[in-house]
Amino acid sequence: MCAFAGLVLMMDLRLIGIGNMRTPFSQVHRSLFPWQVVFMTSSTITGLLLVYTEPLRFYSNFLFWIKVVLMVMASINALAFHRGTYLAVAKWDLDLMPPFGARLAGAVGLTLWAAVVVAGRLIAYNWFTTP
Amino acid sequence: MLPYFEAMNDLAISAAIRESLWVIAVINTMHLLFLVMFAGAVLIVDLRLLGRGASEQPLAQVARDAQPWLVAALIGLTLTGIPQFLSNALREYHSYLFWMKMAVLLVALVYTFTLRRHVTLAGEARVGPATRRAVGLISIALWTAVVIQARLIGLFT
Repeated sequence: MCAFAGLVLMMDLRLIGIGNMRTPFSQVHRSLFPWQVVFMTSSTITGLLLVYTEPLRFYSNFLFWIKVVLMVMASINALAFHRGTYLAVAKWDLDLMPPFGARLAGAVGLTLWAAVVVAGRLIAYNWFTTP
Repeated sequence: MLPYFEAMNDLAISAAIRESLWVIAVINTMHLLFLVMFAGAVLIVDLRLLGRGASEQPLAQVARDAQPWLVAALIGLTLTGIPQFLSNALREYHSYLFWMKMAVLLVALVYTFTLRRHVTLAGEARVGPATRRAVGLISIALWTAVVIQARLIGLFT
């Protein structure tokens, strides 16, 4: 999970224009994306196993559903970026200030994945559970 | 050492953190967010060392870009880790995994700021691909060991 979210963070920082600025975005993307897929797959498999061991506990936990919704929103954000601003990446690849669409996608992605981590961590405390 | 750990465990702040459920939850969550940042800043360079990172870009540039995020994450991890430790100082003292984590953490820190830093900033011309791969793999192994042991402290006490 940390590997996946960490690499997403590194890419989002480049998108926003505040980190890894000496590397063109397309290169950051090309080098990190395959690893993000690898770590996302392993996180998904282990995550499903965790849910499978105690399905009722998660079903009744409000934060679990918040986390699911946030993950769906983060995926839509990534998909929208790939189908939109990223298609014209050649035009802004080396820009120190990427276009608004890219910075927005980066900031939204960063916020959503951080919220996913927060919600995921807080599930462990069993707050907001319905009996 | 036990008396020192008992003293830390008995501090007013330690007791306050221990007794409030949400304070430790917030600290734990922040620690995890800094860990995510740290993992990203380490991996972006280590994957490059393995030869599968941002390949066209000089290694030293990737490493220099990642360095401030790595340092910021380490500071955040330390600042959130100290209250985590204080609130449970006695439990940590008796946890074999805590001592293992601290030992490996020390090795990983020294390694990252000496050998790994030296190799990443040296540039491709001076360090061969086999050495770079080894340096990256050792870094990943050390930090993974730290994280695994840290996770297990909470499970086996």
